[in-house]
Amino acid sequence: MTETNVHDGGVSIRGVGKSFGPTDARTTVLQDVDLNIRMGEFVSVIGPSGCGKSTLLKVVAGLLDADEGKVTIDGESVTAATRNKMIGLVPQAPALLPWRTVLDNVTLPMRVNKGTNAGRAMRDARELLESFGLGHAVDKYPSQLSGGMQQRAAIARAFVFDPSVLLMDEPFSALDEMNRDQQRMGLLEFWQSNRKAVMFVTHSVPEAIILSDRIVVMAAHPGRIAEIIPVDLPRPRGEELYATDEFRDLEARVRTSLRRVMGGL
Amino acid sequence: MSENMTETEAVASVAAVATKRRKPGLGWRIWLPPAITFIVFGALWQVTAIANPYVIPTIDGIVMSLIDDPQMYGINFLVTLQEVAIGAAAGILAGFLIAVVMAEFEILERAVMPLFVVIMVTPIVAIAPALVVAFGFGMMPKYIVTALVVFFPMLVNSLAGLREVDPKALDVLRTLHASRWEIFRELRFPGSMPFVFAGLRVSLPLAVVGAAVAEFVAAGQQAGLGSLVTISAAQANLPVTWASIVLLCVLGVLLVSLLSLVRKRALWWSDGEVVSR
Ligand SMILES: Nc1ncnc2c1ncn2[C@@H]1O[C@H](COP(=O)(O)OP(=O)(O)OP(=O)(O)O)[C@@H](O)[C@H]1O
Ligand SMILES: [Mg+2]
Repeated sequence: MTETNVHDGGVSIRGVGKSFGPTDARTTVLQDVDLNIRMGEFVSVIGPSGCGKSTLLKVVAGLLDADEGKVTIDGESVTAATRNKMIGLVPQAPALLPWRTVLDNVTLPMRVNKGTNAGRAMRDARELLESFGLGHAVDKYPSQLSGGMQQRAAIARAFVFDPSVLLMDEPFSALDEMNRDQQRMGLLEFWQSNRKAVMFVTHSVPEAIILSDRIVVMAAHPGRIAEIIPVDLPRPRGEELYATDEFRDLEARVRTSLRRVMGGL
Repeated sequence: MSENMTETEAVASVAAVATKRRKPGLGWRIWLPPAITFIVFGALWQVTAIANPYVIPTIDGIVMSLIDDPQMYGINFLVTLQEVAIGAAAGILAGFLIAVVMAEFEILERAVMPLFVVIMVTPIVAIAPALVVAFGFGMMPKYIVTALVVFFPMLVNSLAGLREVDPKALDVLRTLHASRWEIFRELRFPGSMPFVFAGLRVSLPLAVVGAAVAEFVAAGQQAGLGSLVTISAAQANLPVTWASIVLLCVLGVLLVSLLSLVRKRALWWSDGEVVSR
């Protein structure tokens, strides 16, 4: 669990702890979390409900302050990273603005904190939407889109300003199974040609395996990292991977790890 | 915060009202029921008026009075309209702007809201004569009373709207290090509009009440439909009294219709109507 290479960029989480509640009844939600996500590495976080996955993601996103420990992004503090617009966030719900077109929603990151736009490899929002399969929907409003399309627009919004880190909190959890699979393959394909450091929270074991370089299994009460499972499947990956023995072996391994964590054994 | 929320929620509760789609060929279902109600009401009125001429005037009596002197009614209508327009505009603007500041700085809400609640529960009918003493029989007390009546519902609804933002969208903006102003511009302001319109829906009819009450208090000195009501009632000139009441009602209906027209254009993206009490 201890990792070296602190300054290769990417996300470095060092001894992070977080508690909630009044001083006489505090519950420790995160305890001594150590994790590195290298530049261009895809890391999934999986674990029982309430183990602190979202809390960890919020600490990395600068939405919550850790009580202990330190998070750096590209060697800078989280505050500096947000100030430089280095973090793209995809929340659990698409959270698109209903009064804006899809295009205007996706360009939202360019309209705020403009000081950091200079010298940045901004993507052409229309092109990006095209590659997300939303080319026909640029001038539509979110309410005219299916749930899957809305979520794709939310992912495009996180990619458009070329951040170095992407944080996603169960972005596909609200979708039905078929839609989910389609969206995750879309994300996989897009990410493989646009490598970012990704922290991806999920409840789905196959999803974690097919997308990730490493899977972080978290235990609850207090939230901590139980195991980090490397996924050494070749890239680029595609749907055919689901049927391979390597995939099944990994799936069994992750499930065993989860069972151990959940059963408290 | 949580105390304030329950209060705010009590005033502005959200209810998704299913949009009524008119089915082809069933248009009569929309207009016929209320039309029947109005016809029955009119008939009952007329019968009662004929039987009791000293209680209410007949409908044709009211209409005749309006036709007889359209200029007199027109001038008084415009005076009241002016009071409503200026007073309501001032109250709406003040309510919204103070809500914006309160939404940004919570401590201000805790500091000032109790005072506003005290002002709000003070009967406006009682304040009006005091204002006449202070500001004379001119237009100023009318503007102030109208603005006061409108202020509180606008404040409370706007505040609820500015607070009720999508927390996930707010998270996205915060990780982008968006400034307060950018968050206001992109999220809070447009997001508050359904609530602001709910506030307007309550405020505009109240503004007519405010203007009329202010005129009652200063009757005999100034024009306006409210003054006309008190003067003619004192003279037992029932057709004039009721014609003025009808015009006050028309003014209210006009304002509310105009509002729903604007709302439809501005808030097409909002699925449900925010219902305010
Ligand atoms: N602001 C808060 N105040 C108090 N407790 C909190 C707060 N945020 C989270 N918690 C608690 O911290 C724990 C972890 O929450 P978190 O949302 O991080 O879990 P999670 O792993 O994301 O769960 P899920 O899989 O259900 O999304 C939960 O027990 C939750 O009740
Ligand atoms: Mg969560």
